[in-house]
Amino acid sequence: MSERDHRVQGVDHVAFPTFDPAATVRFYRDVLGFPVVHSICAAGWGPEDHPDFIHFFFDIGNSDRIAFFYYFGTDTSVGGAEGEKGDVYARFGADVPEYFVRSRHLAIHVDDEEDLLEYRRRLDASDWPVEMQIQHETIESIYTHDPNGYMFEITRAMRPVTPQEDLDANLTIDALLDVVAEPEPTFGKLLARKAELIVEKAAGWETVVR
Amino acid sequence: MTTLYVLDVPENTAVAKVAAEDPAVVVDKIGPYFEIRADGPIVIDRRATGCRHAVWYSCVGGVARDGRITQHDKDALRVEPV
Repeated sequence: MSERDHRVQGVDHVAFPTFDPAATVRFYRDVLGFPVVHSICAAGWGPEDHPDFIHFFFDIGNSDRIAFFYYFGTDTSVGGAEGEKGDVYARFGADVPEYFVRSRHLAIHVDDEEDLLEYRRRLDASDWPVEMQIQHETIESIYTHDPNGYMFEITRAMRPVTPQEDLDANLTIDALLDVVAEPEPTFGKLLARKAELIVEKAAGWETVVR
Repeated sequence: MTTLYVLDVPENTAVAKVAAEDPAVVVDKIGPYFEIRADGPIVIDRRATGCRHAVWYSCVGGVARDGRITQHDKDALRVEPV
């Protein structure tokens, strides 16, 4: 575990391109109610071939922001050929498995079930209804795709994370680094290495009173 | 000997409880983990645990090297001596 002090303060912004700013504003501002908090109107940007663009930001809570770039005079072809799957930024062939396509996503946090269901109501009344509502291990999430095809998740914790889960996470990562340093890592090898680390490190572990 | 480790969090307690119903199985604690041991196989019925999908497929914390998982599906988790 790192001894370095932890100074960062969450997400400043995460940015995506859009070719449909009207639908993007409708989805984030009008359907979800995320305020527009910042925008930049820029005539190009350094290189000669850089298009003029609008960079606009929505507040996603805690003053964290999701931002978009709209480039004048471009369309989706700037990112290459259309894909069978994916979004306007990442395009994939039909043969790419769904788990991989969905692996990169943004999840926005809400405090409780009431808030999760409020956003579900807003989405279900829109052109982007909730596609899935799932209780995972300790979180519950709703999912849809935004107008750009980006997978969009809102999630709530069903209970607080406990100190023993932090220990378990660290043992998992230690075990993972050990097995990926060897040829042919497998889940079975990770569980075997983690069992050794549990015997070695977990026995003396006591709950830190918080 | 077969040894299975399961983190002691509320979602997993039913896994240890169902395992302990087999008289051949001993359930101990090591730090914050359940240590589930048997001379032979350990078999845990998924429906008896009531665990939902995501909990069930992520409940295993570790398996000692003298055992291995031979079944982990919608019906059961089975760990057998190597």
